[in-house]
Amino acid sequence: MAIKKAFANSFSLVKSEVADFYRSQKLYPVIITLIIAAIMPFFVSSYVISEVLTPMIIFAIYASSWNLLASSGQGSLGHAAFLGIGGFTSALLTIKLGLPSIASLFLGSLISAAIGVLIGLACVRLKAWFLAMVTFGFSVIIVTIFSEFDEFTGAIMGFRTPLIVERGIPFYYTALVFSAISIFIIYLIMKSKLGLAFRAIHQNELEAKMIGINTAKYRLIAFVISTFFAGLAGGLYAQSIQYIQNFIFAPYYSFLPLMMSVIGGLGTIEGPIVGSVIIRVIDSYLPSLDSALDGLLHPLFPSVSHVGPPLRMLGLGVFFIVIVIFAPKGVSPLIKKAYNYLRSSPKEKKHDER
Amino acid sequence: MITSGLIQALLWGIASGCVYILLATGLNIIFGVMKLVNFAHGQLLMIGAYIAFTVTSALGLNAYIAILVAMGAVALIGVGLERFTFRKVLGTDKLNEIFISLGLIYVFENAAVLLWGNTPQQIPSPLKGTQLYIGQIAIGYDRLLAILIVGVILFALFLLLKKTKIGLAMRATSQKSSASMLMGVNIEKVYIFTFALGAALAGAAGALYGMIFPFDPSIGALPTIKAFAIIIIGGLGSIPGAVIGGLLYGIAENLAVYLLGGIWQDAIAFALLIIVLVIRPTGIFGERGE
Repeated sequence: MAIKKAFANSFSLVKSEVADFYRSQKLYPVIITLIIAAIMPFFVSSYVISEVLTPMIIFAIYASSWNLLASSGQGSLGHAAFLGIGGFTSALLTIKLGLPSIASLFLGSLISAAIGVLIGLACVRLKAWFLAMVTFGFSVIIVTIFSEFDEFTGAIMGFRTPLIVERGIPFYYTALVFSAISIFIIYLIMKSKLGLAFRAIHQNELEAKMIGINTAKYRLIAFVISTFFAGLAGGLYAQSIQYIQNFIFAPYYSFLPLMMSVIGGLGTIEGPIVGSVIIRVIDSYLPSLDSALDGLLHPLFPSVSHVGPPLRMLGLGVFFIVIVIFAPKGVSPLIKKAYNYLRSSPKEKKHDER
Repeated sequence: MITSGLIQALLWGIASGCVYILLATGLNIIFGVMKLVNFAHGQLLMIGAYIAFTVTSALGLNAYIAILVAMGAVALIGVGLERFTFRKVLGTDKLNEIFISLGLIYVFENAAVLLWGNTPQQIPSPLKGTQLYIGQIAIGYDRLLAILIVGVILFALFLLLKKTKIGLAMRATSQKSSASMLMGVNIEKVYIFTFALGAALAGAAGALYGMIFPFDPSIGALPTIKAFAIIIIGGLGSIPGAVIGGLLYGIAENLAVYLLGGIWQDAIAFALLIIVLVIRPTGIFGERGE
């Protein structure tokens, strides 16, 4: 009975959310984004589809999952652990047990969420910096564990991952569907009472406790949801590059969703998406300048053979620090402002400029 | 044979523990006074190791004098960090400090790659390869001297905190910054000094680390985790706790290598971190929660 009631409640919640969403002006940017995403493959090469756009879409899920956790005040520095667990388990379930890859994708996400419960239980009572350290430490130790059981995991050498659908355009649309659904679910969660509780805990945990929010419970819920979607992103990512190895646990992958969320706009739904577009474009297109940079700057830095990659990462670090200090809300408010400016009539424009 | 192996692991543990004590103490001082955690502290260790390496190999300075150079240079970097990055986000969302440190990790690691390259280096110590034998136990003079140097630095730190005016100001600020400001303490100066002091300790740790172990630009992350494990064992903000925690940690790490194998050397830090935090979220010797 209680379950039925809860189900009916959540259903009416979704219905009213959708109605709200429809009434507000937010629908247009979503439709525009989806249309752009849907027609993109017709304008670019197959290389760009599978190497730039597909990872971009998958990282949007991954960054959104991190962003959901951060909205409850828990900044994980080891989300790559869950990306990797999702990737490895979903691939291994198909290879070792012969499960259909769509089933193992979900099972992999569930296993990631289950391990998320364990780590979350250790984390829910910790302050921000201890939590960051524990999650980061977990992403380091998981490499040891996967390497120790190499006979089963094949993590040291890596292996080819089985695919749901053919690589290229079919996989792109599959990823797009997964991404749209996941981000919509995350949107509903962030809009619901649950999301409100997360934000209350983020702002002031003590006060949240005082008004009757069971902070440990809600922080654990945030952990579970976040690690589920991180696992899903991991499963999809391993398929998108058709290969999985220990490198997926590298700090680079832990820091990526964080950078994407913060650059795009922390705690907003569009932030991680904007961030993943920015970071993927930088990561994919700046390397083409590398050979020019090598020729130009090699005399200055004789101890490195390729100046480009470290210089790019250095620049990314500086850019990130500048964003945190000078634009703590990320770049998406700027885009929003530009959008409102274009949309509004001249009369309203005057009003806006105030 | 087994006992001598154990004693050797114990001695090595104390020596490597000493390096981590310096790092953990630096983090602890900064936290105690500024209520700030710098996750890029291990990267300061790495920069310190490279600076000591450069002045010994390029300028031919004695490696043990290079420790002082590394301390000074990293302290200067610390002043810059406090002034231009951390001060801007102090008192805002705690996550911002984590974000800033993360950006700094990118900056330091890649700057080090650009300046010094990716190949592992080791600081050429004048005592390299010489060992003291006690029965079947062998320990390098470098490690013994490292223990001695850490002892001297910690004693100097103790004097600084207890006997000088700036030490008094630091202790006052760590108790209540607003009250000490009202008593005429220049908080901004205390913050800069504290951060520089913490960074200098990381620089010294780096120079000692570079004499004992080979290093490259990416080594910084693990010492940070280890320093955190030590702080958690010893309690946040407690310097004697960090010393005890550091010794316990170094011994545990080397025993794990001796008994379980080398692959577990780094995993032990995390295992300790989790176990202690689950049992006691404020650390074993910690009194204050925040």
